[in-house]
Amino acid sequence: MWKKDSSEGSDRFEYLQTLVTEFQDTDNEEAKEQVLANLANFAYDPNNMENLRELQVPDLFLDMLTEENANFVEFGMGGLCNLSMDPECRDVILQGNGISLVTNCLSNQREETVLSAITTLMNLTTPSSRAEITDPAILQCMLRFSLSESPRLRSLAAVFLQDCCSQEQVARAEQQMQGQQSAVGIPLPKD
Amino acid sequence: MAAPRNNNSSCWGDPDVYKHHEQKKICISRPKYRDGRRDRAVKVYTINLESNYLMIQGVPAIGVMTELIQLCALYGAVEEYRPLDEYPAEEFTEVYLVKFQKLTSARAAKRRMDEKSFYGGLLHVCYVPEYETVEDTRLKLQDRRRYIIRAVRNKAREKEQKEAINEKPTSSEKATTSETEYHYYRHGNPHRTIPTEDKMGTLHNAIIDTKRLEPQSSSSCQASSDKDRGTEQRLTLNQAPAAVRFVPRTTHLENRKRRMEEATDHSLTDVTINNEPLIGPKLPEPPKLDMEDVSLNTTANLIRNTLKKVESVPDLKPVEKKVKPRRRI
Repeated sequence: MWKKDSSEGSDRFEYLQTLVTEFQDTDNEEAKEQVLANLANFAYDPNNMENLRELQVPDLFLDMLTEENANFVEFGMGGLCNLSMDPECRDVILQGNGISLVTNCLSNQREETVLSAITTLMNLTTPSSRAEITDPAILQCMLRFSLSESPRLRSLAAVFLQDCCSQEQVARAEQQMQGQQSAVGIPLPKD
Repeated sequence: MAAPRNNNSSCWGDPDVYKHHEQKKICISRPKYRDGRRDRAVKVYTINLESNYLMIQGVPAIGVMTELIQLCALYGAVEEYRPLDEYPAEEFTEVYLVKFQKLTSARAAKRRMDEKSFYGGLLHVCYVPEYETVEDTRLKLQDRRRYIIRAVRNKAREKEQKEAINEKPTSSEKATTSETEYHYYRHGNPHRTIPTEDKMGTLHNAIIDTKRLEPQSSSSCQASSDKDRGTEQRLTLNQAPAAVRFVPRTTHLENRKRRMEEATDHSLTDVTINNEPLIGPKLPEPPKLDMEDVSLNTTANLIRNTLKKVESVPDLKPVEKKVKPRRRI
């Protein structure tokens, strides 16, 4: 779709900027959803990541996580899942209180949102953020996900537990869970 | 999500009908500038939705499985495949599960085969990540991460190469962006402390600055954290060979004004620093008036000095083009 010439870079940037501007200027919910989905999909292509970063789109996505509209949350979370693969975007997200906001999405009703949140947490794991991401509350949540009926949730939670934390941390979280009488805490997604 | 009918997660067990298999309604309300070539639904793709497992519905039940797999193989190696007899299918059609060796092959196959006619039937192709094992999922994420890091690194390297080429005087193409460069220039230039040009502010002395800047930018090339500053400094080098390149008049004027302001700054703060030979004519000093009265002369001198101080302070801050923080909703 994009021509490979010298003006391609600035064309791309300008187009993305137009999208961001439309998102900010329009009051039409439907249009906002479309543009948000566009941006989140563009975030999948590494060629766009720097431009999106310059346009402060990571912050825009983070802002969506506290919205009432479930589509906004799902698309914003998807965008973050895509962007957080890039180390520089990852750092921007971490600086914007990303871990806390993304963790809240683990309790979302929509499975897609939860899956994006788990993947994003994995992407956000760095030596300095590891401690926060492997908080016992999060580990317990992942343990419950790993027993879910949904195969995708099961697999992703299992990868998280295997890749992001040590066996001791998992064992400790398991023990803590067994100590609890009822399954208090983050509920499993409904859909 | 539709409740799954069983807990069997193995690839070859009974399939479950999931929401992400369903074809969503096409969006018809997009404004022209962002309406793509193909009609699409509003959906966000992440690595979790994609998979090297594809499900193909709508295959006419006329014994064309081999042809179907041959078609798939055009996009990449197919590891495994089987009919999904248990999956709900329209009358006279079949459903197949196909596992590609690579995610990229599956992606291409989905893009090319979805909504396409095949032996009189319309194929519906979708990803089925629920068939992945834990290991499949882990590898998928790892591959994706590696690909992104490699792509970003390549892009950064390309950018650096492009900028290295731009250091040499090239076409007037650069002229149109020189104003933007100029703003970057203002941003990232802490190194010019010695006034090297006359009060007229000609540009020929910028070449001296270039030489001073060069060693800085080459060392900052390496560190990724200095990449931005390095970029800014490299952009400033574009300003230097002004003699052989067209630079818009406004840039000249603004350059000159800024240099005058800086020159007067320094001439006020440090009189002794000016060892460099001034090239070009000096502006005549304002004539000193003798009022033939001591108190009047004192007053006149006071006023003159105050005027000098007032003139030397730049009244207009250089317009800095910053990226405005986006308004939050």
